[in-house]
Parts: sequence; structure tokens; C-alpha cells
Amino acid sequence: MLRQLPFEYAYRNLGRSRVRLVASVLGATLVVLLVLAAAGFVRGMQLTLTQGENLHENVIIMSTGSEEALERSQIDASVAGQAIASIPGLVERGGVVYASPEINIALPINADASDTTPRQAVIRGVRPVAFLVHSAVEITEGRQPRPGQDEIIVGSLAATRLGLPDDRLAMGNTLRFDNRDWTIVGRFRAPNTVMDAEVWMPIIDLQIATKREATISAVVLSLDTARFSDVDLFAKSRLDLEITAMREAEYYASIAAFYRPIRIMVIVTASLIAIGGLLGGLNTMYASFAARVREIGTLQSFGYTRPAIVTSLTEESLFAAAIGTVIGAIVGLLLLDGLAVKFSMGAFALTLDAPVMLAGLAGGILVGLVGAVPPAIRCLRLPIPQALKMH
Amino acid sequence: MNILKFFPYIAKQAWRHRVRSGLTLAGIAIAMFLFTAVQAMRTGVEAATTATANDTTLVVYRKDRFCPVTSQLPQDYQRRIEQIPGVVWAVPMKVVVSNCRTSLDVVTYRGVPKDEFIREKSDRFEIIDGSLEDWKRRTDAALVGETLANRRNLRAGMTFDAAGITTYVAGVIRSKDPQDHNVAYTALEFVQLAGRDQLGIVTQFNVKVEDASLLDPVAEAIDDEFARAQDPTQTFGEKAFVARIADDIVELVGFANWLGIGALIAVLALVGNAIVLSVQSRIAEHAVLQTLGFNRQLVALLIIAEGVLLSLLGGALGAAAAVFVAHYGSFALSVEGQSIPIAASWQLLAVGIAVCVALGALAGLVPAWQAGRREIAACFRAV
Repeated sequence: MLRQLPFEYAYRNLGRSRVRLVASVLGATLVVLLVLAAAGFVRGMQLTLTQGENLHENVIIMSTGSEEALERSQIDASVAGQAIASIPGLVERGGVVYASPEINIALPINADASDTTPRQAVIRGVRPVAFLVHSAVEITEGRQPRPGQDEIIVGSLAATRLGLPDDRLAMGNTLRFDNRDWTIVGRFRAPNTVMDAEVWMPIIDLQIATKREATISAVVLSLDTARFSDVDLFAKSRLDLEITAMREAEYYASIAAFYRPIRIMVIVTASLIAIGGLLGGLNTMYASFAARVREIGTLQSFGYTRPAIVTSLTEESLFAAAIGTVIGAIVGLLLLDGLAVKFSMGAFALTLDAPVMLAGLAGGILVGLVGAVPPAIRCLRLPIPQALKMH
Repeated sequence: MNILKFFPYIAKQAWRHRVRSGLTLAGIAIAMFLFTAVQAMRTGVEAATTATANDTTLVVYRKDRFCPVTSQLPQDYQRRIEQIPGVVWAVPMKVVVSNCRTSLDVVTYRGVPKDEFIREKSDRFEIIDGSLEDWKRRTDAALVGETLANRRNLRAGMTFDAAGITTYVAGVIRSKDPQDHNVAYTALEFVQLAGRDQLGIVTQFNVKVEDASLLDPVAEAIDDEFARAQDPTQTFGEKAFVARIADDIVELVGFANWLGIGALIAVLALVGNAIVLSVQSRIAEHAVLQTLGFNRQLVALLIIAEGVLLSLLGGALGAAAAVFVAHYGSFALSVEGQSIPIAASWQLLAVGIAVCVALGALAGLVPAWQAGRREIAACFRAV
């Protein structure tokens, strides 16, 4: 039976150098925060772009060659009607067929006429059926915008996207684009979707504002008994319309793939900083344990085995790292979770869910473990008599 | 005092604590990699967005539009723009991007009238693969920027597909203008026909003015000319136009700058930590040196030199790795048809090394001062 050093020995040793303890705790806290920030960024972006996977299946009809960006798509405004007439099996409730013609466009928006800061957001021109097709959208305040009244509604992250305070986008306030003011008559939320950072308005108003009365960006269809292949067949058989069909989930997955280099950059940067911190910690631990060679020799002469001593030294390091990990996790949850980030045509919230928290906690513990084991093993290499002679 | 003759002693001290020195070097290399990478991004942003006295190009865009998809101007504006006093030439351009969003792998097509493009711009780039004749001959031919060609492994004679457009690579160009690095120049009509009802429609006009002092008055005159047209214009200096579009990237680089400063602090902490540990373990040795006649300044200098050596080696390693990755990775951040190259240069490597030397000396100052002022007898007693 392995004779272990008492746990008190490990944690009492922590108090021998308060500076080292504080440095170890701070180091672990920093590493945990970095891992949480990077993983939360990646997770938030990923969740926002892989929307719809848990909703009923939607299919987007867009122009050929625009599969990478809906904003580039232009199809004939009549496609919605033709799709309804040609594809049986679309969702239909109370006589309303779930086929939503939409315009997606990125436009400069200002707070008012005197605002010269360049801001832009994705504006989606919709009909009321859009609220049925996009079931994630929920109006939290106000009502749907009415055509011809210069009315808009804003998503819960639209203020972040525009770089304006949230209360600036309160009900009754206005935003300015196309040389006129548009009144905010409603606010909506669509958590974990790109729509959350958008501004919505009646499609007819947007068509007039952008002078594209004859074209729309896309038609979004909700399928009931129809299958994707039915929509695909419709798109392929109507060569004159120059359209293509794509599952909504696939479209957003392709956007997620487009951002992959950015996500890799974020992960690599955070990893490099964490490794840098780990190397600094290792250096300190090597010096700290090396100064205790004589003490370790004494423990060995009392009969404690090398594994028992390594375990105790690791406990010591892990204890300090665990304190830092808990602090980092709490600070991360308080400061980072849900933090809105503006990024490229949209905005999303940092998401610190279970997998992200697990990664953060594992990072902190790893710092304690990797920082202790190699220096502990190294300072046990000396034979006991030689270790006892060391100053 | 020639400190170089003590180099073997300094090197041996670093070698004696191989693990500690190795860990410190690795930490410094990582921090300097990050710092240099951030500097490469910052240099790219500055080159693309900072106007110089030699800039004489304006960009005429559709008023209140950002993405090239939404900026649609009649091509016949060209004639009216060229009649404005001070304008040397105006080139209509149809821009098509694979994606309006910001990322590292966006393909931008620029459709241009070939003859005008060659006449006005051929002196600003060199063809490093393929030929201009081939480009002129084929309607679907593209002149591809060096960065884009490297990233997608494109060579003359190949075809490539992006944004729903398939083109033949007639040549690869090298240019000093950052906006030429990541684009494919094709025939204007070819790009127009790829879109729906786009014949006769362009995204922007690039306008050359006679003198840099005429940029603002000509821009104003152009916007006045089309103020009451169905498609009013908004005219910018070329660099200001990029800065406006690349707002997100500028913000990202601003944040990255803080990261760079953090990396420098990390270098300082790592070197400082290593030197403090080194000095603590060699108190007696320094006393011996002083007994042998080394004065305090020399002892202090040896300690600082050790910090500089570690910092120099780690910094050179990290900065060289960053320059290598940036150079061979051919990265460019693109947004809405504008490109911000991540610019790798040997100057960046030199700056990185110089910064490291300074930080190494700085980190060694306090421990060196402390070691230099210790009494010899106290040093021996402390051991």
C-alpha cells in the first residue's frame, strides 16, 4: 500500500510563498478566462450559424451562383407564387401557405440625419408569413411593421450590430436610411440565429427604397409532406428563372464554414497565449521545486516513495490552479456569458454553455497538472544522500 | 569595456540551466510570434487605409450603399465624369465578391474595360506568370493577384470557379497596391453578363485626378453632378473608401493591438522571471566574481546581457516564424470587395528583434541593479 503524504502538507506548503501562490492563481485564472472567451466566441458564432437544425425543415430558393451569400441573390419576384403553385406539400395553416419572399440586403443605417458614423446592418424585407416560416422569431414588444408607414422592427442584437446603445433602439425611436427616418414599432428576438442582429421591414417598402421592385433575394419555404427533392426539381426544371434550392441548415452551415479561418485564428491565438502562460508557470515551478530538493530528500528518507512525493507536489500545484480555475469560471460566467459581439454583417452572443465551461475548467486544471508533474519528477532524480547535502 | 569577450561566459550560464532557458525561449518566441503577427495586420491596414500625398485616385460609389452587390450605377456616368475639370480618366468597374462578409478567403472579381485598364494601370503591376496578350484575347480570362493565386494555388492556364463565375487564369500579377493583391481582373462585360440584368451597370468608377490637391473639389463636383439623378453618387479618396468599408477589420486590428501590447508585457515578465531565478541561484557566484576583481557595473552588465541574449534568441525565433507564416500563407482579410493584406516584411522581423533586445535589457535592469549593489561578505553569508 502506497504511503501518501497528508493532504494538509500540500495545502500548507502553498502559504510558504504568497507571491508564488498569487502568481499561480492569477495564471490559472487568466488561462481559464482566455479559454472561455475563445471557446465562447467560437461556440456563439457556430450556434448562430447552424440555426434551424432543430426546427422544421426550411428550404431557400435563391439565384444560381449565390449559394455563398443570400445578399448577392436576385430572383424574379414572381418565384414565390410559382413555387406555391408548383410544389404541393408545403406547410399550410388557415389558408396561409408557408412561403416567404424576402429581400436580404446590407445597408448603411444612421441614428439620425446628423450621425456621420458609418454603421451597417442586414435589413430583411418580409411579409407577415415570414413570422410563420421563421419560428425562432418572437416579437417581444410592439407589433409587425405596416407597409407604406416607414416602420421597422429590430432584433435584440441590432443595437450591438449598429454600435448604438440598446435604449437608442427603444420603441418609438427612429433610425435613418435611404434619406428618411424609419420608426421602430416593434422589437423581436430570435436567439442563436443571424436574424437576432437584423432590422426587419415590409418587403414592399424595401423594394421601393432599394429600387428593385421586380426582384427579391429569396423565397423561404417550410415543407410539410413535400421533400427537398421536390423543391430541387422545381428549381432545376425552371431554367428560365435561374434559381437553385438549398436547405436552410446547409446554407448557414456553408456560412459557418466560410468563417472557419477566423475561428481557427481565435483558437490559435488563445492557445498560444495559454501556452505562453504555462511555460512561465513551469519555469517558476522548476525553480520552486528545485529549491526544495533537500526537503524532498528528507521526505524520501522518512520512507515516502517518489510517486507519493510527486502526488503531493502535484496536489499543491493543482490546489492553486483549482482556486484560479473556479475564480476564472465565475468571472467568465459573470462577464462573458451572453456578451454581444459585433462581427461582419451581424452580431452574436458569446455562449458559455456546458461544453465551453468544461473546456475552461479542463484548461485550468491542465495548467496545474502540466505545471507540476515535470518539475516534480525532475527534482526527484537525485539520490537521497546527495539531495540531503544540497543547499 | 568590451562585453562581447564575456559572451562565452554568458552563453554558458544560459546553457547551464537548459530547461529554464528553453522554457523562457519558447515563451518569448510565442509572445513575439503574436506581436509580429499583430504588427503585420496593422501594417496591412495602414497601407490600405492611410492616404499619402501621391494618391490621386477617387472611388465613385452609389450613395448610401456598402456591399458591391447593392452599388449599381449606370455605366454611362463615365462620360459625364470625364468631362468634369481635373479628371484625367474614369474607369468603370463591376465588382463581384464571393461573400460580402469578413474572412480570409474571399474572392473578388473586378470587371474592367480591358483597353482602358491596360492603358491606365499596366505600369503599376508586373506579370509574374502568363501573359497580358492571353488576357486580352480571351473574354473569360482573368489577371489574378499574387496573394489570391498563392492562396488558391493558381497558375496561368488553369481555370477556377468562385461566386458562380468560372474564369481562365491568363496571368498572375504583382503590384504594390494592396487592392490588387487579392483580386481577379476580368473583362467588364464578362462579369456584367454573369449577373441578372447587369449589362450597362457598374459597381463603381475609379477616377484619376490631375493632382492630389484636386481630390476634394473633384469629388464634390462628381457628387453634385449626380445629386438629382436616379442613382446619386458618393465619392471618396481611394484609401478613405477602403477605411470606410473595412470598418470591422480596423476595429479587429485595434483590438489585436492590445493583444500585441499584452505579448510584449509577457516577454518582459518571462525574461524578468528567468533572470530573477538565475540571479537568486548565483548569489555566491557573483560574490566570487566581485572577489576576483569584477566591478559592480560589470556584474550588472553580465546579468543584463544574459537577459538580452535570451530575449534576442526567443524574439528572433518568434518574429521569424510570424514573418514566414505571413509571407507563405498569403493571408488577406477581405470585406465587401476590399482587401487588407497581412503584410510580412523583413523590416517587421528587424523591428521584432530590436524590440526584444530592448525588452531583454529592461527586464534585466532591476535584478542586475540588485545583484550589483550586494556586499561581497553578505553574499557569501547568504549561501
